[in-house]
Amino acid sequence: MRQRGMILSRRALLGGAASAGVLASLAGVVRAQPAAIRLGTLNPLTGSGGSYGPSMRKAMEWVAQEVNAAGGVNGRQVQLFSEDDQTNPEAAVRAARKLIDIDKVAAVMGTWASAVTTAVAPLCWESKTFLTTVSGSDTITQLPHNGYLIRTQPNTHLQIGKLGEFLLSLRVKRVFTLAAQTPFAVPSQKRLQEILPRGGAETVGSVIYDKDKTTFRSEVDQALRAKPDMIYLNGYTPDCTILMKELFKAGYTGAKVAQGYAVNTKLLGQLPAEVTDGTYTATPSPAVESAGYRRLAKVLGTDDLDPYSCQCHDHISLVLLAVAHAKGEASGTAIRDHVRKISQGNGVKVDSAVEGLKLLAQGKDVNYEGASGSCDFTELGDILDCKIRFDQAQGGKFKFVKLI
Amino acid sequence: MQNYLVAMAVFACFYALLALGLNLVWGMAGMINLGLVGFFAFGAYVSALATRRGGVPIVAGLVLALALTAVVGAVMAMITARLRGDYLAIITLGFSEVVRLVASNEIWLTNGTDGISGIPGPWRGRVTPETFNLVFLGVAALVVALVLAVLQRVRHSPYGRVLRAIRDDDQVAAVAGKHVIRFKVEAFALSAGVLGVAGALWGHYTSYIAPDVFVPLITIYVVLALTAGGTGNNWGAVLGAFLVVFFMEGTRFVTGAVPGLQAVQVAALREALIGVSLLVILRLRPSGLLPERLPRVAS
Repeated sequence: MRQRGMILSRRALLGGAASAGVLASLAGVVRAQPAAIRLGTLNPLTGSGGSYGPSMRKAMEWVAQEVNAAGGVNGRQVQLFSEDDQTNPEAAVRAARKLIDIDKVAAVMGTWASAVTTAVAPLCWESKTFLTTVSGSDTITQLPHNGYLIRTQPNTHLQIGKLGEFLLSLRVKRVFTLAAQTPFAVPSQKRLQEILPRGGAETVGSVIYDKDKTTFRSEVDQALRAKPDMIYLNGYTPDCTILMKELFKAGYTGAKVAQGYAVNTKLLGQLPAEVTDGTYTATPSPAVESAGYRRLAKVLGTDDLDPYSCQCHDHISLVLLAVAHAKGEASGTAIRDHVRKISQGNGVKVDSAVEGLKLLAQGKDVNYEGASGSCDFTELGDILDCKIRFDQAQGGKFKFVKLI
Repeated sequence: MQNYLVAMAVFACFYALLALGLNLVWGMAGMINLGLVGFFAFGAYVSALATRRGGVPIVAGLVLALALTAVVGAVMAMITARLRGDYLAIITLGFSEVVRLVASNEIWLTNGTDGISGIPGPWRGRVTPETFNLVFLGVAALVVALVLAVLQRVRHSPYGRVLRAIRDDDQVAAVAGKHVIRFKVEAFALSAGVLGVAGALWGHYTSYIAPDVFVPLITIYVVLALTAGGTGNNWGAVLGAFLVVFFMEGTRFVTGAVPGLQAVQVAALREALIGVSLLVILRLRPSGLLPERLPRVAS
């Protein structure tokens, strides 16, 4: 084991110092002209959220491009600084520090995972930077954020409330929940217990499982023992895939309902139709009929936009309109103080930032209603209402059932 | 800019503590510990719960984290006393997963996957974020200095010589009359304590911990930091940790300047660059930037 070591040579040290210098000067290149409005995007490009982040960022870049092409905000161009949050709170905190301290952004937009948002939020409110997020965990808006945070994703209370209504409309009586261990597992369960008895149904039990397991036999057995006529699969795609297979094998013939992000087209493609047939899905619905949604769908080249891209489109639009309403003051505090003045109220309804900026320049009030929905916020930063869309899998495809 | 550099230096200090902890068990005593992040998490939870729920001062939280994580480390070492190499690696890796799963599921204690937010930090909220950062850098640097001093002392003492003897051949050490298991347990416990303190500091700095923070990737970064810095060398551990943070952050600016890449490609390129940089170091300097040089023994 004995090794003769070399000491760091002078040349190696000089080389290292030189490359450090290059890095530092590169940081200078990235820096913007003083006049631009500086905004940050923090999306998951790698890690478990990696399938959503790229299109979320594209949606924001497109809005910035459009606004810049139309002359910017009060004559100022919009400059985006983008970082990958790696779907990891530790990496996200470092990325957010860079956005806040080096890029001096007024807002950080588009955090996805709840843990990432909760980790980044204190940095934002402490340095008076505005944060917009698509995370759904109820606790996020309860943080002491002093108004520096809004989210466009409906919280569990709102989402599960509507799911409960839907289940009652199906006249099911006995609902069992199989939930992955997530921040929404327990709140969802509690909310269902509140709603279901109102229509004469009941929750007959629930199991919270570790989503990384490769088999769920015992969970499935436990569920079937309760003789449910509806099983709510509150997990993610990989675990729901296994659960659906095992429920099928175990001979379960009752109904199933799951979140739209878990039981998606990809899952339907992987499983035989007889396994998935009849499964209902609940998805916070973007405003599919809105012009904003259709424009964004065209730009991103898909008919079926995910809700997060729609929400990110709205994040940057809201932030830019708030800056314009604050007479061009691009600071986190100005955005906080003005965002509700352009997102709700009696102004002219607009569905794009460009259109809204035009009206604001003419001195008119606007009420932004975007691709994700009406974007009206409570004091805490939650959205007031959101439509939930219910579909049913039939023959390996989704068929629209209803919107609540 | 300055605030950012200070914050990254704080992160580098956390990594330095982790690398120092690993160096003690692996570099000096030859026991592989791939469960670093488990001890890191355990310390973070102990201090967060003690200060947030128990209302004890931060310093007491740190001491508690040190003590309790050391106890867990000792128990762990006793359980695995007769394991070496791959088997020890698997068990320790399993341990870190167990910690993460317990933290996710014992909601009454750890608040589950929601995590614990609002963990106090020294003067947080009473001073500007910039001052807080500086204060914390001072605290973190002081802890690194203390740990470094203690571990250097261990390394140069006869005790350190026994650890190296166990690393090189534990049977020979046993024949020489050394109580091998006792030494292993003590080294493991001390190392775990250091890792626990690192976790506690992490919680007090970022004010938020959740099971999602403590992913095995952190362990990998720390192993890389130590290998790049120089396994067996305490200064190497510190240097390697700063280097890894420098790579992780530096690649941000380099990849941002590459034209014609999609966002995802930039993110992937960044991860690739971190790996390649470390490969280059290990190719050019196989025993790390500061290889271990055994202390001279007076004959």
